[in-house]
Amino acid sequence: MADISLTVNGATHTGSPEVRKTLADFLRDDLNLTGTHVGCEHGVCGACTVIVDGRAVRSCLMLAVQAAGSEVTTIEGLATDGGLGTLQQAMWDSHSFQCGFCTPGFVMQATALLSDHPDADEQQIREALSGNICRCTGYQSIIDGVLLAAQRNRTLRNRER
Amino acid sequence: MAEIVAERYTGASIKRSEDPRILTGAGRYVDDIKLPGMLHAAFVRSPLAHGRVLSVDVSAARALPGVVAVLTGADLEAMTVQAPDPLLALFTTGGPTAEFTLLATDKVRFVGDPVAVVIAESRYLAEDGCELADVEYDELPPVMNAAFALDPSSPPLFANLGDNIARPHSRNEFGDVAGTFADADRVVDFHIDVHRHQNVPMEGRACVASWDADLAAMTVYAATQSVHITRNGVATRLGIEGDKIRVLAGDIGGSFGLKIGASREELAVAAASRHLGRPVKWVEDRGENLTASGQAREESFDVRAAVSNDGDLLGLDVKMVIDTGAYPGMGTMFPDIMQAMIPGPYKLAALGFESTAAITNKASYVAYRGPWASETFVRERVLDLIAKDLGLDPVGIRLRNLAARTDPPALMITGRPLVGVTSKESLERVAEMVDYPAFRRRQVEARAQGRYLGIGVATFIEAAPGPRGPDGALGSESMRLRLEEDGIVALFTGQMPHGQSHQTTLAQIAADEFGVPFEQVRVVVGDSDVVPFGLTGGSRSATMTGGVALHGARELKAKVLDFAAHLIEVSAQDLLITDGNVWVRGDPASAIAVSEVARRAASGQFGAEVDAALEVEATYDGGQGGWSGGTHCAIVEVDVETGIVKVERYAAVEDCGALINPAVVEGQIRGGVAQGIGAVLLERSAYGEDGSFQSATFMDYLMPTTCDVPRIEIEHLETVPLDADVNFRGVGEGGMIVAPPTVVNAIEDALSPFGVRIYEQHLPPARILELIAAADSGQ
Repeated sequence: MADISLTVNGATHTGSPEVRKTLADFLRDDLNLTGTHVGCEHGVCGACTVIVDGRAVRSCLMLAVQAAGSEVTTIEGLATDGGLGTLQQAMWDSHSFQCGFCTPGFVMQATALLSDHPDADEQQIREALSGNICRCTGYQSIIDGVLLAAQRNRTLRNRER
Repeated sequence: MAEIVAERYTGASIKRSEDPRILTGAGRYVDDIKLPGMLHAAFVRSPLAHGRVLSVDVSAARALPGVVAVLTGADLEAMTVQAPDPLLALFTTGGPTAEFTLLATDKVRFVGDPVAVVIAESRYLAEDGCELADVEYDELPPVMNAAFALDPSSPPLFANLGDNIARPHSRNEFGDVAGTFADADRVVDFHIDVHRHQNVPMEGRACVASWDADLAAMTVYAATQSVHITRNGVATRLGIEGDKIRVLAGDIGGSFGLKIGASREELAVAAASRHLGRPVKWVEDRGENLTASGQAREESFDVRAAVSNDGDLLGLDVKMVIDTGAYPGMGTMFPDIMQAMIPGPYKLAALGFESTAAITNKASYVAYRGPWASETFVRERVLDLIAKDLGLDPVGIRLRNLAARTDPPALMITGRPLVGVTSKESLERVAEMVDYPAFRRRQVEARAQGRYLGIGVATFIEAAPGPRGPDGALGSESMRLRLEEDGIVALFTGQMPHGQSHQTTLAQIAADEFGVPFEQVRVVVGDSDVVPFGLTGGSRSATMTGGVALHGARELKAKVLDFAAHLIEVSAQDLLITDGNVWVRGDPASAIAVSEVARRAASGQFGAEVDAALEVEATYDGGQGGWSGGTHCAIVEVDVETGIVKVERYAAVEDCGALINPAVVEGQIRGGVAQGIGAVLLERSAYGEDGSFQSATFMDYLMPTTCDVPRIEIEHLETVPLDADVNFRGVGEGGMIVAPPTVVNAIEDALSPFGVRIYEQHLPPARILELIAAADSGQ
């Protein structure tokens, strides 16, 4: 066991996870944030992706104790006022997903992408999401959702200017 | 006052009502369930393909702090009923069936075969316990392919069978097979292999079993395609009355045929919960999923084709062997479907079909999206091979051989009528979409520059649900529908969606038919105490459940109007329901909300002469049924230096009748195509000759990603309505059925300058290079 303190979705949490416990299991079991899904436990499928200190990471490959002092954002932290964020709304509008199990990972990976590259084009989106596996959709609807979110963000930015 | 105008939902890409919870992390999958006192299971699994179990020593595991129990195969045998799985019993084709226990007792039969289950306070501790289990084996020679399995010298996996044959050899003939082959200009032979690959849903198998000792009742939280089939499996194997078991299912992370019934592991978990009187959770990890959940395909075909010099495919004679893996199950039922379907939409006049099912030391054969798909692969491959031999074009040979749409419809040589089949139209349209002649010109130019482009087409039909033919029955689907006091129209269905969007599509149909806004329909699934029997599978729900939603909503509406007629004191014929209001035709001011009607019905103020129960039990027989089908086209580029295949363009023309929700339909098609592309270019469940399993991680079992699957262009034909009301047909499996031959045909076309001929389905880069090298050296 090790005492840790970290910020998750803006709130400070303390805990004493076993040293071997993954960040994914800590979020799911200790903090009851079950929106983060575990799809392969070896860092390939990307379902467990969360954002740690601004970077998309695989929470199945990171230990909870390694996240001590970090700021973590999970899918539960994206919705604003109980609604949907721009990316989530665009993915809803684009029929992006089917079974929904891979969804949290794609949403978090795409959130990190759009944060760093707000004008990402289709090829950049495909490369950025190539480490996330979806078995249902053939990906096109997911990519369309990210493109739509990028376009809506651009419209918003232009309006603000 | 303005007229009341209703929105129409059916046919529109209505946004899914499933999505808000899924997009915010509020979905509820099995692993999200936590119950008070819940324990966690992990399995000790065989490292050997085939061996005798000499001893199982779990004393060290039992002594580990945090481990609550370790149950061996013998322990579980003592606490369960030895009975065939009720689902698999349906598929038994006669003769003796393999006898085996839930967990291995005498023998292990594949790498990953469960031997013991450790129950602990956490999954971490349960896996620690597994490390401490000491199992001694006497290794036996592994039976790693069907040819050896069928050799009488192979060691039988199951003592009570005495050989490794899961289904005895059979032969059936349709039409004049001998005469057709004797009279044909040419008879050509091929051996075609389809490799082992698997479902790989992103969520593996999972369950939480919770035994209530006071009530002597079980609750199982399951990931399943049918809560009732899971319930029946648990009831049979645990020896509990079915009505003492409640199976609940929430969101399910995909399945594609894998999660039907109750698996050996899930039954062991249920038995452990009853034994301990505490809830037990098991969530399959990815290694277990790839190793032990089950695998699909792996069939081989010796094909003889009777052909005219002009390119008419006159007859086929097929000898098929299916490798059903270790524990015989659904693999034994699919040869019959392949036999029935192999003529496809073509004029084939004679068919001989032989099949044998072999038992081997591999993970068990399970259904995987279009489980009979290999018939389409074989047929569409054979057509291209024949075309090459005769110097014909792949589109031309198909147009020549497709059965014409006639009235009465042509019959497949295996019996079913090709009613409403639009294969010819789909083939012509897909060739237009890609500008086939222009591609051929571009192909010639590219070859001059040392680039190898190829085009492939393939055509399929799918019985989703199939035509109402001379043999009649399409099965039956039930639904209970109720108008609730808050005005919600509740549909209780046995469908168990795991990505198919039923909560959206069924609501669209019922909203239109009943006359309420889409948001006012609630689709209730996943509770065996509440929903009627059902199964999501076989691409049946569009017709069968869409149909029962439509007819059921119509029945419920009639009932509501009969009751409202008492309230409003007009004839029911003069009443309408629009946008959630009952009103008198021509008098919008008369409108009262359906919620008010329901409240009045529930008030008890009417006597027995008025039927105030606003609920119906509807069933639907499939109406006229019908086929789904279509033609797909792939354009690929093969890098002949690296063997890498890039799918440059992919177009699909499909006919699934009337579309309920085009975005949902297209999602199903694209997802199936992606799996088909993966099957050809990447995925293989690989075993070594020593029985070792070589694809237990996602670094070894390669899944298609955003960089492998191109944009998929889709057009729809809705040419032939067959039924007065219900012309929705299933579209769940077609993409996975037809994409593999489409892509392989394109690859062979790209490599035609080398003289490459392809008789297999799995074409990773190394295999492409081998094929080129073998063709170059004239082998």
